[in-house]
Amino acid sequence: MKNSNFIQRSVIAAPAFLKEIIFSEEIALRSGFLQSLDPRIKSLTFLLLIIQVLLSQSISVLSFFYALCLFLAVISKVKLGFFLKRTWIFIPLFSLFIAIPAVFTLGPAAVSVFVVRVLTCVSYAVLLSITTRHFELLRVLRIFKIPQIFVMTLEMCYRYIYLFVEIIEQTYQAVKSRVGVLAHYKSGQRIAAWNIASLWNRSVKLNEDVYQAMLSRGYHGEAVAWNDFKIKTRDWLWLSTVVMIIWKI
Amino acid sequence: MVIYGSNDHMENIIFELKDVHFSYLGKFPALGGVDIKINQGQKISVIGANGTGKSTFLQILDAIIFADQGSVSFCNEQLNEKLFDNEEFSRNFRRKVGFIFQNPDVQLFCPTVKEDIVFGPLQLGFAKEQIQKRLDKLIDALGIQDLLNRPPYQLSIGEKRKVAIASTLIIEPEILILDEPTAGLDPLTTRHIIDLLIQENINGRTIITSTHDLHIVEEISDLVYVFGHQRKIVKSGLAGDILNDTALLTENNLVHIHSHKHKDKTHIHPHLHLDHHGENH
Ligand SMILES: Nc1ncnc2c1ncn2[C@@H]1O[C@H](COP(=O)(O)OP(=O)(O)O)[C@@H](O)[C@H]1O
Ligand SMILES: [Mg+2]
Repeated sequence: MKNSNFIQRSVIAAPAFLKEIIFSEEIALRSGFLQSLDPRIKSLTFLLLIIQVLLSQSISVLSFFYALCLFLAVISKVKLGFFLKRTWIFIPLFSLFIAIPAVFTLGPAAVSVFVVRVLTCVSYAVLLSITTRHFELLRVLRIFKIPQIFVMTLEMCYRYIYLFVEIIEQTYQAVKSRVGVLAHYKSGQRIAAWNIASLWNRSVKLNEDVYQAMLSRGYHGEAVAWNDFKIKTRDWLWLSTVVMIIWKI
Repeated sequence: MVIYGSNDHMENIIFELKDVHFSYLGKFPALGGVDIKINQGQKISVIGANGTGKSTFLQILDAIIFADQGSVSFCNEQLNEKLFDNEEFSRNFRRKVGFIFQNPDVQLFCPTVKEDIVFGPLQLGFAKEQIQKRLDKLIDALGIQDLLNRPPYQLSIGEKRKVAIASTLIIEPEILILDEPTAGLDPLTTRHIIDLLIQENINGRTIITSTHDLHIVEEISDLVYVFGHQRKIVKSGLAGDILNDTALLTENNLVHIHSHKHKDKTHIHPHLHLDHHGENH
């Protein structure tokens, strides 16, 4: 009884949760500071900031960058509580596997620098990803000449995760409408396994078909991307500010 | 086989297929000897039950798959896979022939609707201003302004189809091939798409449509080709003649026998899909 309840709850909750965190572009659509920047400049500056954070050894410098990140979140209309929850979630996991064992070899001071550094990096990465629309990030990758195959793979992954979530939701609903509730833990497992197998088959087929659809519209090896980003004065200002900060520190 | 339009030698033959066979992975037969000539500016449709090879046939026309046996020529040139390694030829062909897939999920693979629509012309080397101009025109014609920045896979089926159509029409191909363009659409959207096709044909485009929706056949075709269970063309003719041939349609699973109640009296009669949505049922 308990088992089936648990499965039932997690089966409904997991896709909804995934959908919310991966596919919700609600924050990216708000009119905040980071949302108003050109995605290319924004990605570039975040990359610079993350590199700087990775190179810093001092806890005060790291704290400064962490504070800057939180400040950026606030002026981009990201709720602080929400942001902290989303970024701190990585810390316990991370500490358990890497930091705690390291205490014995490196000592607590080095470890705390390490933890703050990871936290800051993760925070910048999360902040960039929630304030930028998914397709803009992919386009930035393409414009930055990241190999086509890599970008396309990312895109495909994204599509499949969505498809996968949809299938789980639909199957769950279909099963529920026929059986009433997801009857048994074992059958729940079987359905999940079947789903993954059929998803795999579908994705292989879909890939082939998509390739044909691309050929049909003139694709021949290297896709040409549409670039309609515009760099404004505020982008240059932001870029020079970041360069200045990194220079001075 | 009766070939219509063969009396006037002035007509330009676009596609000519002779005894075309195709099977998937060499073991699932999909076409068993198709012969057809398609003239420029014609509107034709291929009808047939599920699995009779309509999609396969259209994909052969679009040269995304190639015949195992028999010959396919396009404007008097034999099509084969090697020919498409020639970039010049390939680009020319893709500019001339546009294909709208049965499953719009297959056709829409970009992160946003807008990128999907401009994908074709970008690959084919159209100028940017031209692409933008055509895009604006299509957005108006199809009423898809609000969809532009959304990911295509999250749209409704009707919206997906419109976007898929836009992504092909923007290339302005001379020949438009559509695989079941109205399947799963509500009557109003269907109407919209049919009107669009008729207009494109008036503008001089060749339109080749597959469907098993007999409602739309008359409007979208001068000539109708019926695919049978042997996965080849069993009959061709003028739309009016084919639609009146109840025996043919029944034999090929395009109509079914239904019983209906009219004012407490039960009638049994062959049910043409033509009157399927009549309000007096
Ligand atoms: N990818 C595929 N692999 C194997 N068999 C296929 C594939 N696609 C179609 N077929 C088979 O080829 C035949 C013709 O299919 P299709 O051209 O899709 O028919 P239609 O479009 O008329 O429904 C069917 O018997 C179908 O099962
Ligand atoms: Mg088909």
